[in-house]
Amino acid sequence: MSLIPRAAPAASMAFAGRDPAVISLLKMLPLLLLLTFSSAAAPPAAASPSAVHNNNWAVLVCTSRFWFNYRHMANTLSLYRTVKRLGIPDERIILMLADDMACNPRNNYPAQVFNNENHQLNLYGDNVEVDYRGYEVTVENFLRVLTGRHESAVPRSKRLLSDEGSHILLYMTGHGGDEFLKFQDNEELQSHDLADAVKQMKEKHRFKELLIMVDTCQAATLFSQLQSPGVLAIGSSMKGENSYSHHLDSDIGVSVVDRFTFHTLAFFEKLNMYSNASLNSLFNSYDPSMLLSTAYYRMDLYKRALNEVMERYIYF
Amino acid sequence: ARALMMPPSTARRLCFLSLLLLLLLLAAAASATADAAAAEEFTEELLLRPLPDRKALAHFHFRSSAPPASAAGRHHHLFPKAISQLVQKFHISELELSFTQGRWNYEQWGGYDPMSTNNAKPPGVELWAIFDLPLAEIDATWKNLTHTLSGLFCASINFLESSTAFSAPRWGFKLNEGNLRYGALPREAVCTENLTPWLKLLPCRDKAGIASLLYRPSVYKGYYHSQKLKLKSSQSLGIILDQTLTVVLQPNTVSGKQLHSTGGQLQPSWSMEHLFSKKLSGKCLVSKSSRVFVEIEKGIVDNVDKAGSDVSSNNDLFVLSTAPDRSLKELDNLEVQSSSLYEYDVNNYNSDKPLNVGITWKLPLIWSCTRAPYHASRFLMGSGNERGSIAMSFLSTGLDKQLVDSSNDCSIKAVVFQVVPWYVKVYYHSLEVFIDGNSKAISEVVDKIHVTPSEDKLLPGTMEMLLKFPCSMQLATLTLDFDKGFLHIDEYPPDANQGFDIPSALVSFPEFNSSRSYPEADPLFVSPLLENFKEDGVVKSYTEVLLVPLTTPDFSMPYNVITFTCTVLALYFGSLLNALRRRIGEEERGLKKLLLGNCNLHCFSLNLKC
Repeated sequence: MSLIPRAAPAASMAFAGRDPAVISLLKMLPLLLLLTFSSAAAPPAAASPSAVHNNNWAVLVCTSRFWFNYRHMANTLSLYRTVKRLGIPDERIILMLADDMACNPRNNYPAQVFNNENHQLNLYGDNVEVDYRGYEVTVENFLRVLTGRHESAVPRSKRLLSDEGSHILLYMTGHGGDEFLKFQDNEELQSHDLADAVKQMKEKHRFKELLIMVDTCQAATLFSQLQSPGVLAIGSSMKGENSYSHHLDSDIGVSVVDRFTFHTLAFFEKLNMYSNASLNSLFNSYDPSMLLSTAYYRMDLYKRALNEVMERYIYF
Repeated sequence: ARALMMPPSTARRLCFLSLLLLLLLLAAAASATADAAAAEEFTEELLLRPLPDRKALAHFHFRSSAPPASAAGRHHHLFPKAISQLVQKFHISELELSFTQGRWNYEQWGGYDPMSTNNAKPPGVELWAIFDLPLAEIDATWKNLTHTLSGLFCASINFLESSTAFSAPRWGFKLNEGNLRYGALPREAVCTENLTPWLKLLPCRDKAGIASLLYRPSVYKGYYHSQKLKLKSSQSLGIILDQTLTVVLQPNTVSGKQLHSTGGQLQPSWSMEHLFSKKLSGKCLVSKSSRVFVEIEKGIVDNVDKAGSDVSSNNDLFVLSTAPDRSLKELDNLEVQSSSLYEYDVNNYNSDKPLNVGITWKLPLIWSCTRAPYHASRFLMGSGNERGSIAMSFLSTGLDKQLVDSSNDCSIKAVVFQVVPWYVKVYYHSLEVFIDGNSKAISEVVDKIHVTPSEDKLLPGTMEMLLKFPCSMQLATLTLDFDKGFLHIDEYPPDANQGFDIPSALVSFPEFNSSRSYPEADPLFVSPLLENFKEDGVVKSYTEVLLVPLTTPDFSMPYNVITFTCTVLALYFGSLLNALRRRIGEEERGLKKLLLGNCNLHCFSLNLKC
């Protein structure tokens, strides 16, 4: 893993070209090259010179089944709603829900899922499309989605058809622990499984940048084996810490949202498609005393400074 | 100018003629495409019916039809392209896919009419398809079809791909030459995500027309909801796609609990707004016709006749909130009026004057719906995790006495079709039949039986049976013994302790026809919904889904952890205590000392050295 970023003179030239005052500096091109080489904040070159960010994908996974894990479903659906509202269409979203909460016989409000006890927002809406549901949410299918290695009969709507210009948001929630994430009480996804899948994705040029957000207990341990460049990881808690639910809805009878997702959502609800908020402000909005855990972000694989990163995952 | 051979006037005439010819060609082409495009049709209809147990039935019916592919090519403007591609790619001649939650209450909601025959479906997902292919290719095509439908409708229909999940009945389900495949998933959840793509197949989606009434919380709060997609494709007629959604709702009205002055309880008066929280503000503009029907059943019509009044929309027993545009009478075999339909043309309504059809009851009324000749139900017998029995019972509902003459050699035929997964190993030789409590020989009751026994991990057990019951019978019971099988640890679902499902069995009565006739209807009045009612169909009913608990390994991690930990601790502490407290050889030394002591005493007494 090289620490010196490979410079992209074309990119820096383009950037320089925007500012009319700098045009005169074009004569000092060699000096400019030297400067970009030594600067740590220079943008990295993509693996292929044509890799320009031109599409966004979201893979949202809820790994828990049973009624008492209602909050994990609400977490995922909250992200789904946010991502749809800010511009990613259903064709570019892979939604995996391990159980059916909206039409569950225990749900007093059929076809409605709430993430707040005020019941003001119906997350299920009228136009939800779930790609993998129920027993289909397994570690095998999850890894197949990430790596793109499906059987020939699998339809397009269930495939992650990203390319080297894609920015992908991967959000996972459920129960987890030290270096693992539990799938449906039956099997687990380990940190090295995830790291291998991401590595395969990078080899096959399936993403330009990948943002992984995980809301489980000890979420940060899931990223310990990641090594691929261009990956940014956010976890809701560190090793040894639990992630807690936010509040209990006495009408529905279970907790309806987790703290980390609740605060993430509170941040995104203030945005619209044209906002210019950066990831840095998202990180700064996490308050350990409100989360009751320490939100962790892994930035060493990600070459750009976070205050430069607009919410590029959400819009073009 | 010298190159010009023809005189100028002729050239001009030629130019004019060629232009005319071109225009004619264009017009012909335009009309041809217009003809082809105009042959695509879409109609939408809604049928409302009050049910005897204070509920209301709403049946949405959308039909899209496309002309044969040779006429229109691959271009569609109303018909959903996804469906035409599906039909072409998989060579489908007939397909039906239904998503159902809840159980159709045959006792209260009827079992003899076309509504219950066509729209009462088993819970979960049911898919059957007839392919126009050589028999050897059908299984592979079925597998690809299940995957495509799973992506199209956001459901796990792909679980029907493996040979353990589908079967190929020859005559028990529908008569065919071996190109029919049938599969059912009883535990599949049905929710908004299945309705979303289903609505996207309609030209107006849920934005305009009758589909705009579908308020999701109302639909999924119902006692029964079933969305169905039925395809028929042929070279001559093109593709006809019928999408229906049948919902049984409890109208939330205040008047439901009122007591009438006569002491009886009034049926709840409801309207479309009570059912769907919305009124209908216009039709889908590309639909050929858009209608709402209110069906008043035979039971109510008989009561109105008894009360002496005319069966109009405003009579002594009930009144409809809006005057209908037309009323249709259904006549049964004896030319007696059976049920009544009131039709509203949505074309006459718009957002300024929305349509809100409703019924208000004036007098308390109790009526019942016509039922199938036998009420078929199925249950499990036996206890323990080793073996059990499946029992099917047929309870006479008294219909046979009305419609069939009760001479001595009269019998009623019933066809039973049942698929049982491989891990419930049914012994078909153990079939026993009891009629009115007496055991009968199989040959007396079973006319024809076709069994495909199950193979472990390969095939489910399929049974198709033709039974002949005597007309005077009250109750018949069939029992089949089975052994419970073992699954590999990887084959258990995550919630294995809930149990495993045996899909619904289908019972049909081939001698009873559920079709209806509306002889007085205007021949120009074409309604696909009524066409479906007029089609010949046998009376059929589905039994319950059975839940079989199987032996499961102990998946509980805490129990295993406690057991292992306690064992390790016991071994550790046991060995430690042994090591600390027990002195090796101490016992032997103690015994030796005792012996020596005795010896010394003995020697001393004998003055001998020891």
